[in-house]
Amino acid sequence: MESLMEMKPLTECDFPTAPIWQDVLAQAVTGELVAAMNYAALAGICDDPQEAEEAWEHAAIERAHAAAFTAAGRKIGVDVVSNADGKHWKRVREAFMRCVAEHDVIGCLIVQEIMLESFALASYSRVAIVAPGSLGKVFGAIAADEQEHADHAMCILKAERDASPQVFDDKLHRLHLEVMTTLAAMLTKECKDGHCEVCQSSCVKPSLFEVNLSAALLRGASLQQYMKMLDALGLPGEVTLAWIAQLPV
Amino acid sequence: MDCPVARIAPSAAPQVDFALVGHPESWSAAAEVFSALRGPEHTPLPDDEIRDILPWIPPRAVCRVAAKSIGDAEAHGLYIDSFISPDRLDAACVRENLTRVRAAAAYAIKAGAKMVSLGGFSSILIEGNFDQLPPGHRTVFTTGNTLTVAFIVQGLEKMCAQQGRNLRQSTLLVVGATGDVGSGCVRCLAGKVRRVQLIARNVERLRRLAVELESEGIDVEIGTDLGDFSEKAGLVICAASLTSSSLLLSSIAPDAIVCDAGYPKNLSPDATTSRATIFFGGLGQITGGLTFDPDLRGILNHHPFPDVAHGCLLEGIALTLEGRFESFSRGRGAITPKLVEEIEMIAARHGIYLAPFFNGAGPVTLQ
Repeated sequence: MESLMEMKPLTECDFPTAPIWQDVLAQAVTGELVAAMNYAALAGICDDPQEAEEAWEHAAIERAHAAAFTAAGRKIGVDVVSNADGKHWKRVREAFMRCVAEHDVIGCLIVQEIMLESFALASYSRVAIVAPGSLGKVFGAIAADEQEHADHAMCILKAERDASPQVFDDKLHRLHLEVMTTLAAMLTKECKDGHCEVCQSSCVKPSLFEVNLSAALLRGASLQQYMKMLDALGLPGEVTLAWIAQLPV
Repeated sequence: MDCPVARIAPSAAPQVDFALVGHPESWSAAAEVFSALRGPEHTPLPDDEIRDILPWIPPRAVCRVAAKSIGDAEAHGLYIDSFISPDRLDAACVRENLTRVRAAAAYAIKAGAKMVSLGGFSSILIEGNFDQLPPGHRTVFTTGNTLTVAFIVQGLEKMCAQQGRNLRQSTLLVVGATGDVGSGCVRCLAGKVRRVQLIARNVERLRRLAVELESEGIDVEIGTDLGDFSEKAGLVICAASLTSSSLLLSSIAPDAIVCDAGYPKNLSPDATTSRATIFFGGLGQITGGLTFDPDLRGILNHHPFPDVAHGCLLEGIALTLEGRFESFSRGRGAITPKLVEEIEMIAARHGIYLAPFFNGAGPVTLQ
């Protein structure tokens, strides 16, 4: 059991890097809430009641993740404010909702389980290494949870690709251009198109080095995870390499 | 220029007879590949972005390769890049680089390649320890070093003939003499020159090689430093990359013929070496044609002549075209003149010959 001293929220004075973690957490909470909304929307288009139930469960898990991140923020004395309408997240959400509108369950899984999960899993794992104390533990635990999601969805997607590789790959490429372009732009070294509308004040990216992180590291780890997932699905490496090379920097 | 990747569409897995495993020679070489893959509609990646991205890329195919024999045979394969960072090729990074080579080998096995050539540092890392590679029942590996040696020897002999040099009266210096390629070159040429000078870091290996050569009546000098020898060599093979090319060039005969067979190649002619003839060795040309999809010709094989590639990669292609799926070159100094002659004949049957002479400044013309 934690002592009362440990339970007392830290202030910014106690934790000089708190404003950086506040923005890192804001991105994480926003991502989790977007995922929760995505799963809820996915549940609405699942024909199979069991699949729909699983989607609702995933939505609940993602909401729990968001709550855990928010609580971790409180523990270091910061309020974590999310914004699912921030310009990058909004774009990602719109791409997902287009799949929902088309009743395209596979498209939804590609966006959520391959693209968004790659970024979540790789970023959380990296943050877990450098984040102090309980904050690091929260990121580590949620990264492990996300890994389970991804493993489950990979089986479905692999079967889908094996059945019709060309159709699957064409769909994946179309979604890559929409979603991965946005996610890659989120992790460019500088926000060239203006504020992301999630960071509390100025862009957090130039400050990440203070906590042994960088946008380049998070981006590299995320794209590596994405490429590994595409490899596991059986997409040709020379094709996915070209896709990655063409992403914004 | 058309975007070389525009016509790539993921599709059912095509035939993969062979795989060539390599890595970028330099950051600028990596940047060229990325620029080509990005296509003309995207700005080229700045150097710092290349350095940020490349280390994260898992080993994977960069392009498909098709090779044609001058006979009827045709072979299809993959160029697989292990994406070892150009600045991490030193001894301190051996463990992580081995992991990358193993992953590249696993990629080749998964793709169904029957023959895999381990180019550049990939073969140095494995050096005959084929059991370090992932098991693949249908896949064999070759370092490709025997054909590399063949092209180095052919190149030196041809350049001597063109310049009217008498090999019998020449002293040959081999830098990196105890390595797989270096020792193969020594064994092929020692009996054809007046004296051999062998330089390497490992004295014990040098001594063993010297004893072997002396037992055949060959005049041998060994050293670990360029200043260790009694005379300045007129013929030089650099089978190891040099940290200081100027040091070598000031320690040899002013009109020396120098074959840069190191990897990466870093000997360049300059004002101080204007009388020496420097050419890149160990390269061959496949006259039946070599095509890449996406079209990375002149980017992956950045040479002033078409269809030129490193001997180590061409060995795998030659063996595939021949239908001889065996680990022809296994590393660890096992290259003999007999094996060199055999691979030369196999390569020649499929139109794979010594490449025209060139160096970092372009084609080499007779002085």
